[in-house]
Amino acid sequence: MAIEIRNVEKTFGAFTALGGVSLDVRSGELLALLGPSGSGKTTLLRIIAGLDHADAGEVSFDGQDTRDRAARDRKVGFVFQHYALFRHMTVFDNVAFGLRVKKKAERPAEMDIRRRVDQLLTMVQLSHLATRYPSQLSGGQRQRVALARALAIEPKVLLLDEPFGALDAKVRKDLRKWLRHLHDDMHITSIFVTHDQEEALELADRVVVMNHGQIIQVGTPAEVYDHPADSFVFDFLGGVNRLNGVIEAGVARLDGKAVRVDGAVGADGPAVIYVRPHQVELGVAPAEGVPEGKWSARVSSLHAAGPVARLELDLAGRALEAQLSRDRLSDLALEVGSWCTVDFRHARVFPAKS
Amino acid sequence: MTAAASTTATKPARRGWAFLAPTILPGFGTAFGFTLAYLCLIVLIPLGHMALRAADVGWDRFWAITLAPRVLHAFFVSFGCALAAALINAVFGLVVAWVLVRYRFPGRRLIDAMVDLPFALPTSVAGIALTAIYAPNGWIGALAKAAGFKIAFTPLGIVIALVFVGMPFIVRTVEPVLQDLDAEVEEAAASLGATRWQTFTKVLLPTILPALITGVALAFARGVGEYGSVIFIAGNIPAVSEIVPLLIVARLEQYDYAGATVIATAMMGVSFLMLLGINFLQRWTRSRHAR
Repeated sequence: MAIEIRNVEKTFGAFTALGGVSLDVRSGELLALLGPSGSGKTTLLRIIAGLDHADAGEVSFDGQDTRDRAARDRKVGFVFQHYALFRHMTVFDNVAFGLRVKKKAERPAEMDIRRRVDQLLTMVQLSHLATRYPSQLSGGQRQRVALARALAIEPKVLLLDEPFGALDAKVRKDLRKWLRHLHDDMHITSIFVTHDQEEALELADRVVVMNHGQIIQVGTPAEVYDHPADSFVFDFLGGVNRLNGVIEAGVARLDGKAVRVDGAVGADGPAVIYVRPHQVELGVAPAEGVPEGKWSARVSSLHAAGPVARLELDLAGRALEAQLSRDRLSDLALEVGSWCTVDFRHARVFPAKS
Repeated sequence: MTAAASTTATKPARRGWAFLAPTILPGFGTAFGFTLAYLCLIVLIPLGHMALRAADVGWDRFWAITLAPRVLHAFFVSFGCALAAALINAVFGLVVAWVLVRYRFPGRRLIDAMVDLPFALPTSVAGIALTAIYAPNGWIGALAKAAGFKIAFTPLGIVIALVFVGMPFIVRTVEPVLQDLDAEVEEAAASLGATRWQTFTKVLLPTILPALITGVALAFARGVGEYGSVIFIAGNIPAVSEIVPLLIVARLEQYDYAGATVIATAMMGVSFLMLLGINFLQRWTRSRHAR
């Protein structure tokens, strides 16, 4: 089911949670709402589910306005951040809940409910725990019960609020992969909220980046990562170096030397140059002087565990982080205290905020 | 007994059955000994002594006194009214707790404080206040009289007095549980298609049931033991609105110490059995989801 969101506004007292948000969710896609806390992403999700009401604007499902439809009539599966399982019910009864509360005319026979719940529990790999209570399960298991419970009503839309937020790193990775497969099998329009950029980029078909109740950018993970709309998005999507420079006559300069940048340069004045650590190019320092168009830096610390080496450099008093492969590091024979040349493969420049 | 307990506590874990499961908490011997001594002095010895005195009269007289129609009826009134009041409070106390927890309205703190009044008031004050209103010449009593029935000086009056004194028990035991309820759980039920009523009966009520039963048990126990507020409003008509505690006082006033002791012992026995039963009920409800 496609969802259209038009100029949705929501305030809580003096706080603007959503300031006129518009978004089209395509049928069958897996969409991530990504942003820092307080950016309005959860509020937007709750408004889609009908758990909160927008002050203005509209949300429609397949062209039908949802304003008069209560949460329980929307056929939306919602997975809560803390799962919100019914703790006095077994896993089986939790999953069966949505089917058992249906109106008599629509309610499946107990036999069919049983079969459907067993099917769902098999799918989330929990059939052996059907008679347990939520308090007897681990975090990852509770998460899957919550998902099975939401899927039991055959929702048209699946909404997940920070679905992996409360899990440890290993379980989180496994569940992420598993959710992606599940989505590929079922093709339910799904939206999940996260503040973890890695999760959004890895899992989603498209990513919606939000900040201060506004949508900043919408695009595929590659689009938002490679072509961030502004400094906030650049900053939020992974580690970044911020170097204070200037724009002079349409050229970005760092310590007087020109920096090649992607995209628009902007008006003259103080500026911040953004470079991702893996876009920093290091080279062997020549015996004398600094090559044309490059900078010189000293290695101040070095972490070389794992396939990627992380270096902290001192570039004329500024801290600069660089990432390179272990092979490249041994080619350069760098160690703490040694000098190297620095260049930037890709960089962006944004005017400095006053 | 206490000496044996303290030696088992200090010994390292023994094989097989042990009086105390191994624990790292120190001081079991002292604390347990104190508990036993305290309970003995305050509860067990006085009540045991009373039971012994009652046994003096012999089984035949014991049963003759206890099963006399007037005494039996008093038992029926005492326990019946206490139960009715506790059940009424279960419903309305829950509503009061719900309103206090869920809504923010002007005067909420005032109402919150009013809930505790029955705790603090001497019960005779409650008795006088209620009788003034519910007697046939009182405001509400007059209305009831016009409608053709009496409230004060009937078991109905007793129930009202017991509702009054028992209400805070329900409100105060249910309130914290309601406060702890996660709004997300209700939202989850709604998003799964449950109506408000289904959410209440299938999700909320089972969650607060253990606390509600505790509250009902406390209110019931209080109702059974209540004396001060009841004697004013009940009218104390034998075989109509006479409660057991009053009957005991009446026997004492007639210098019938044996009779008073026998009835008191029977009262104690029945109360104990009921509390035991309620305890089992509580255990059962808790075991259903505290796992």
